[in-house]
Amino acid sequence: MPLLEVHHLSKSFGGLVANDDISFEMEKGELVGVIGPNGAGKTTFFNCISGHHAVTSGQIVFNGEDITSLRAHEVARRGLGRTFQVYVAAGDLTVQENVMVGCFMRTASRSRAKSRATDILKDLNIRDLSGYLVSELPVAAQKQVTMATAIGAGPKLLLLDEVAAGLNPNEIDIIMASIRHVHDDMGITVMLIEHVMELVMKVTHRLIVLDYGKKIAEGEPEDIARDQRVIKAYLGERYVKEHGAG
Amino acid sequence: MEAVRNALDFSDFPRLDLTIAGLFAIALILFPVFPHSAFAMSTMIQFLMFALYGMGWNTIGGYGGQVDLGKAQYVGIGAYTTAIMLIRWDIPFWVSMPIGVVFSVTWSFIIGYPLFRLKGHYFAIATIATSLVLKDIFEVWDFVGAARGLEISPIKYHPPDFLRLIFKEDIYYFYVILGIFFIGILYVNWFRKSRLGFQLRSIKDNEDVARSLGINVHWAKIKTYAIATAFVSVVGSFHACYIKNIEPEDTMSLDISILIALMAMLGGAGSLWGPIIGAGILIPLKSYLKAWLGAQAGLVGIDLIIYAVIIMLISAYEPRGIWGIIEKIRRRKRA
Repeated sequence: MPLLEVHHLSKSFGGLVANDDISFEMEKGELVGVIGPNGAGKTTFFNCISGHHAVTSGQIVFNGEDITSLRAHEVARRGLGRTFQVYVAAGDLTVQENVMVGCFMRTASRSRAKSRATDILKDLNIRDLSGYLVSELPVAAQKQVTMATAIGAGPKLLLLDEVAAGLNPNEIDIIMASIRHVHDDMGITVMLIEHVMELVMKVTHRLIVLDYGKKIAEGEPEDIARDQRVIKAYLGERYVKEHGAG
Repeated sequence: MEAVRNALDFSDFPRLDLTIAGLFAIALILFPVFPHSAFAMSTMIQFLMFALYGMGWNTIGGYGGQVDLGKAQYVGIGAYTTAIMLIRWDIPFWVSMPIGVVFSVTWSFIIGYPLFRLKGHYFAIATIATSLVLKDIFEVWDFVGAARGLEISPIKYHPPDFLRLIFKEDIYYFYVILGIFFIGILYVNWFRKSRLGFQLRSIKDNEDVARSLGINVHWAKIKTYAIATAFVSVVGSFHACYIKNIEPEDTMSLDISILIALMAMLGGAGSLWGPIIGAGILIPLKSYLKAWLGAQAGLVGIDLIIYAVIIMLISAYEPRGIWGIIEKIRRRKRA
């Protein structure tokens, strides 16, 4: 049984079709990437799966259960976690407290939430950030904290929305190591949206490509990189005609 | 068990804070022993009452960031429940107070459910509206004395009456409200460390993120709103026994709602000590301004001007109030 099944998912905002008849399956233990040009509907796709958007049509099955009409917090409680591309930490929660909010999903006990949060921070090598406010941290560290917070909730599947955007090569290496650690050692299935191709090519097992809300390709990273339709989506039709494929 | 331990555990505050808080608590307990005027005593009781209102407001308004400008309606529900039950059926305070809380919380669920579908300014405006509507209803409702209000006449009772909370001397009222005040502090201290407290702070941060962490945002707000309401209702019941003469105008007016929110914001929304600091500044200011300036015809309403200035200063310079300034200085020193 696949961990996540998406059947004919469509989402439109008024007249704008952001996701158009996307079908897709994912097994437990996979690490899948979602790529596509800006405005392809990647984040909308995540929002539909995580219950932040109500879908227009289609069906989403997670862990054998139809979650299509569940609200975001209900989806989260079934073990589907996520991070956000733009994270505005306006509040006064410290890093540790942030991760504790995630841990509180699985326990009502403060001491248990606290010790679990400490473990996760230690595990991701960011324990020395514990006492800082999230808003005081550089972007790279903030992204790690959002990952740690989502992990606190103990997800089976974690959706990462552009965790490497805006980072320098060093920071990308660190984030990449964190993603691998989350997937390989913590045993969490991961689906990520990413524009940083280096990361996508290195860590994912499989890619799906969205363009104008449609799934235009799916396959292993090396094949996707040679796929005509994908190159066309990114570089335009003329480029493909002039250079040929591959 | 863990909840009790959390309520009693203040160890995450610096020692300096705890020393000041401890000395302040001792000063409050000993206050009536020292010579004082009746005016100072009534200001002190007002301070404790408003500190409690502010602490209640702070749970939803401070930790949760939902600016509620309708707290006065719960002062009214608490006060009227206690007054009516005492006058009509001779039901003592300790019975009518929890019943008042039940009424208030029920009402808070009824209006909270639709209200929390709104956000930001719309939510604030809607809270004002519900409070004013309730006040208008009470002003024409004969059962509750309409605009004339209700009067508890102390002659009927034999003070000191601890069951009905009818006393001649203010010192008894002082110790009753002081006891409630200490319980209130422990309660908020538990709340800020509880799962619900963390959920509210996360909601204030970012509602979408909160949802992705399994938090039912709407329900968490309604629950916390009920907690805030319970605080206000208890003190409202006390208000009835203490003031003895209640009217819709002085229990449920917009002024009271605004003062409650303002105190908490001035002292520091979202901190344990904030509302106490805010009440400690604004209540004496209000009492003394009324006594000194209010007598002069031209200066009536000057307290409102002062509140307005305070609101502007807070929103422009430090949304987290006086406690926010203290924390900022501390962070800078540590860095």
